[in-house]
Amino acid sequence: MMNPKKRWGKRWARGALISLGLLTVGCAALFFALPALLIAPASVEKSDVILYGAISKHSAADKYVIDLYQRGVARKIVCVSSQVSWELYPSDYVRESLVLQGVNAEDVVSLRLPLAPCGGAETPRIVEFVKAHGWKSALYVTHPEDSRYTDNLARRFFEGEGVALSVSYSPEDREELTRNWWRTHWKTQRMVGEALIIALDRFYSGCR
Amino acid sequence: MVAARGAGRDGRQAEIRMAPERSQAGEIIISYFIFRMPYFIRHMKCGIWNMNTKLASLSNFKQSKLARWGAGALACLLAAYFLTPVLLNKAAEGLIREDRLVKSDVIVALAGDIRCNREKRAAELWRQGWADNVVVSGMSYAWGFHTGEAARLYVMSLGVPEEKIYMICETLNTRAEARALDDLMRERGWNSAIIVTSAFHSRRATYTVERAAPGRSFYSAPVPTGSPEWTPRAWWTRRDDVYVTVREFGSWTNTLVGGWQ
Repeated sequence: MMNPKKRWGKRWARGALISLGLLTVGCAALFFALPALLIAPASVEKSDVILYGAISKHSAADKYVIDLYQRGVARKIVCVSSQVSWELYPSDYVRESLVLQGVNAEDVVSLRLPLAPCGGAETPRIVEFVKAHGWKSALYVTHPEDSRYTDNLARRFFEGEGVALSVSYSPEDREELTRNWWRTHWKTQRMVGEALIIALDRFYSGCR
Repeated sequence: MVAARGAGRDGRQAEIRMAPERSQAGEIIISYFIFRMPYFIRHMKCGIWNMNTKLASLSNFKQSKLARWGAGALACLLAAYFLTPVLLNKAAEGLIREDRLVKSDVIVALAGDIRCNREKRAAELWRQGWADNVVVSGMSYAWGFHTGEAARLYVMSLGVPEEKIYMICETLNTRAEARALDDLMRERGWNSAIIVTSAFHSRRATYTVERAAPGRSFYSAPVPTGSPEWTPRAWWTRRDDVYVTVREFGSWTNTLVGGWQ
């Protein structure tokens, strides 16, 4: 007959192993489900302005934004970014690039945002800018992995101020990001980073 | 309970005997206490009995499995409550590496600081004479700007001459940066470098460059902690610091297991 203590230990070890296994499977499932969880379906509504926020090293959303502009989805474009290095605002360069690619210079502006700890602290400044120009609707072009969160978070700020919002992203960006994303450092970093941001923002009132 | 009742009866008889002989106030009070004695005794005994009963049941309880588990769980909760902040602080402090500085060939400001405090610190060390050259780092974007170029201009604005500034490009992550730095050091014949980066990144960065460039000496001189920079003390209370710390632990894991490059 087995010693009761041994039997108890065995039962515990089995319980711990099962829990660990379930946790690992859960984490793996969550990891591979990240694209589905983070990327919302793109929604393109006719708007007064395009807010171009998909400015990063691996983004190629220029073509998409120009296409939207030329199709008449919106008559104005605002390139939005905060600084990425000393006195370096990518939105200034993106504006120039759009002008060089055929967008009327008077239809595109650069909005320099101050450094903010999170989207919840940054979005009110964009809303303020949109309202100051009298625009009533906006199409926010963002990074694919940021689309669902932007849709949830920014919509509240915009709609709270009476501005209609739709959120979209470049299909090329989405395709590039989701292709073998778990094997590429920057893609994994962006997916996991976004998931971490969403999780963290829930705990801080200034970011919700 | 039976013993207490018996004592009560004796006490009451004593009071009846004494009451008619004394009429002064003090005596009335004494009489009152004597009259109430059985009540006090009964309750005192009751209390002792109750205490004994309670002690006995406590002793039984202490021997029970439930009590042991409960006490264990309580001890664990208390330990977790008091030890968790200490451990979290220690874990974050463990991310920092600060070496005693030695005069070196070059000061390297690693990329990734949008506030440019790394570059500022590198320029400060250069002015103090810790090295003759400064390396800045960054990457180019499709729209024709380069974060390394902006960093170079900033370091120049802080007084470092242009000819003393070198740049490493296309540094998407710390390992790529370490490889690029190794190439540059080999090319220039440099053997020692002071690595300047944010405090949370300092240990991993120095570890990574030491791995990438064996045989060379590296000294870590991180940017001082304190707002708006990352601060290890009570980092879990600040949203930005939580993000940075959790990410850094993830990056450490990735570096140690040799994961994503």
